[in-house]
Amino acid sequence: MEEKQLSNEESLKLINRMIYEAKGYFYESGISGLVYGFSITICSLLTYFREKEMLAFPFDPFYLMTPIFFLQGWIQYKEEKKKKAKTYIDESIDYVWLGYFLSVFAALCGNFANAGYIIITIILFLTSLAAFITGMLTKFRYHVICGIICMLISIASFFMQNVNIYLLLAVMAVMVWLIPGFILRAHFKKQQHNL
Amino acid sequence: MFKDLDPILHSQLRLAVMSLLLSVKQAEFTFIKEKTNSTAGNLSVQVQKLKEAGYIEVIKEFKDNYPNTTCKITSKGIKAFEEYVKALQQYLQVKK
Repeated sequence: MEEKQLSNEESLKLINRMIYEAKGYFYESGISGLVYGFSITICSLLTYFREKEMLAFPFDPFYLMTPIFFLQGWIQYKEEKKKKAKTYIDESIDYVWLGYFLSVFAALCGNFANAGYIIITIILFLTSLAAFITGMLTKFRYHVICGIICMLISIASFFMQNVNIYLLLAVMAVMVWLIPGFILRAHFKKQQHNL
Repeated sequence: MFKDLDPILHSQLRLAVMSLLLSVKQAEFTFIKEKTNSTAGNLSVQVQKLKEAGYIEVIKEFKDNYPNTTCKITSKGIKAFEEYVKALQQYLQVKK
């Protein structure tokens, strides 16, 4: 692009083109989704088998999520550094998921009051909401549909206040994190290949 | 009465940079260079002019031991851009 004076029409066209170019920027390797997807699915299944007494596990498998959060924080930090631009959508999504994780921690405090399986129902609703908003912001139809299906799963969980609720959590982890993780990873690899 | 078009913005590369930065929170120099299809030298000069006008903020830091420049539009830049677009629209309406 050369340094030249523009006509008024050319200026408006250039503004439109650049705004379109900037909004089209997208960097997501899918690793975050895969890490959360695998860890939450595995922890949910381990908890299910442990509570069914089909498996001996020395502690609550969800305690494994603590190091995962630190690992994920480190991965996120590395990923952010690789981004050449930060869009307003990226920032909004970060806030949605930050709010989500803080709300999940707040909901987990219900354990102190022996709130039981209803905590999982709350987490299921929060996950559906975060997935739905993410889908709407990114115009990623899969996440929008997934958010709606997960809301139905959350409603079903009211009628499943027993150990089986962990299976719903595992299904949700696969839908919200694992499948999009694989989709984004494939898209990312294709993008890298084309460069 | 027509407003004069801002001479800082009324140039192809500077306008392209401002339009890009308006749509993102911040962007690296390499990203702007890639999207505007410009040379590093020319882009540096234009970025400097925008910085001197107070329209953008330029952050220089190290990333993985390499120097990295990030640009961000300022509130003064946003206001100037809005004024520029309004003035452009005025001109174009009269032409119709």
